[in-house]
Amino acid sequence: MKIWKAFVIAALFLAAASLPFYTGTYLLHTIYIIMMYMSLAISWDMLLRAGQLSFGIAGLFGIGGYAATMLQVFTNINPLICILFGAIMAGLISLLIGLATLRLRGIYFAIITLAMAEIFRVIIRNLPDTWTGGAMGIVLNNAIFNGDVKQTYWLVFGILLITIVLSEVFNKSRIHFAITSIRNDEIVAMSSGIDIFKWLVVIFVITSTLQGLVGAAYTEIYGSVNPDANFSVHYSLLPLAMALLGGIRSTWGPVIGAIVLGLAGEYLKLLMPYGYLIIYGLIIILVILFLPDGIMGLIKKLTQKK
Amino acid sequence: MLSIKNLDAFYGKLHVLWDVSLELGNECVGIFGPNGAGKTTLINCIVGLVKPQGGTVEFDNKTLLNQETFQIIRSGIAVVPQERELFPLMTAAENLEAGSAYIPAAHAKRKERLEFIFSIFPVLKLKSSLPAAVLSGGEQRMLTIARALMAYPKLLILDEPSTGLQPSLTTDLFLRLKQIRQSEGISILIAEQNVRQCLKAIDRGYVIENGKIVLQATAANLADNDYIRKSYLGL
Repeated sequence: MKIWKAFVIAALFLAAASLPFYTGTYLLHTIYIIMMYMSLAISWDMLLRAGQLSFGIAGLFGIGGYAATMLQVFTNINPLICILFGAIMAGLISLLIGLATLRLRGIYFAIITLAMAEIFRVIIRNLPDTWTGGAMGIVLNNAIFNGDVKQTYWLVFGILLITIVLSEVFNKSRIHFAITSIRNDEIVAMSSGIDIFKWLVVIFVITSTLQGLVGAAYTEIYGSVNPDANFSVHYSLLPLAMALLGGIRSTWGPVIGAIVLGLAGEYLKLLMPYGYLIIYGLIIILVILFLPDGIMGLIKKLTQKK
Repeated sequence: MLSIKNLDAFYGKLHVLWDVSLELGNECVGIFGPNGAGKTTLINCIVGLVKPQGGTVEFDNKTLLNQETFQIIRSGIAVVPQERELFPLMTAAENLEAGSAYIPAAHAKRKERLEFIFSIFPVLKLKSSLPAAVLSGGEQRMLTIARALMAYPKLLILDEPSTGLQPSLTTDLFLRLKQIRQSEGISILIAEQNVRQCLKAIDRGYVIENGKIVLQATAANLADNDYIRKSYLGL
């Protein structure tokens, strides 16, 4: 790696890590929410790099949240352990789903993942109230770190770092060959000795665990879960839009998309509390029409011309 | 090394391979035939991409029929599929690395292997940092073969390697295959329509038509065979 690149990354890391020392509560809160969506967008993109389109983020986000909250209620142990438990549960459930569905490709797999979130929501809603709180959900006695924004920020920042590191491992290590060849041409992938099914399951479990991790952190931060909020399709579509806007099949595309769409969403919410989603939708349509490779694609084009 | 006996394969109800038998030792063998004769299907049966309904396929005295393609590849068979080639956005070097990345024994020795590959295909060393998409047609074909060789195969299978290449490059390609066979001592199976050039590289050949083996002989005998001369060499 070139020295200047390492320097820029180190500077960005230090600036992001030290942000709580010189910013206010509102900005920190806004940034860590954007960071959560960023993690979801990157994890969604990591699976897309292997050619599998998922609409199931909300399902795994909700599972992570519910698993963490239920463990918290039943055992009252450290919330950080509960977050870890939420992530592991999302990973285990995705392993079972992956083993059953990852022979499917394209739109068939996408539909399964779309149904998955809804099925989870219905199951959770209909489990005994003493377990999941039914339609009302569960409210915890306290938010993680007693609601301290700085510590919460660092928690989310840590999750984002884990996601970025894993995403870069996907891009830079030997896994990259498996991912790319599975997406490009499965015959060539098999002819290169790649066990396609195994790799798809591994990738699906890793990305699902990340989505469960974010979901678990989210519920510990807000101190509550309920089926309609935590399994909302919003958690599937917004990260997807962020990745599309920033540019798919890279780590930094979803990062840029999350920053742009996250900040735009925050500003538009202030401007028109109930109509901002229309503007949001328009931005996404325009980007898809005129920037099919997203902002990263545009940056690449501009820098290549020079 | 490779033994195929009484192989029958179907696409749905269509019977595409009829009682095909083929033996391959430490040698270079060609499979000739017109489009739709069953050459690619036969290769796909060997590497597990098509599951035959009858017969046996053995490699080093082990059946391949119950194995997945990736297991067959890891057992020492490398295949260059027809017109399914490179990762265009990856560099030539990355394409080569991809060839050994998931073959555990080959991955450990990939650096030495690269030296060998570059000695056979020097142009790939010069262009190793370029994306595969910008290489010429001939260079891309060399890269596909080189990528397969990265896996240290005992048997290299090529499905119509000369497709789309200009005549001089085709000649060069078969010369290099002969060179690889001599230096590596590996077995090679080539399905090919360019019989004239391929005969220069092979030891023996089979002719397959309408899913049946209709002729088998040494390269010299095939070159003198009236049917081959008339139907495949246009003489």
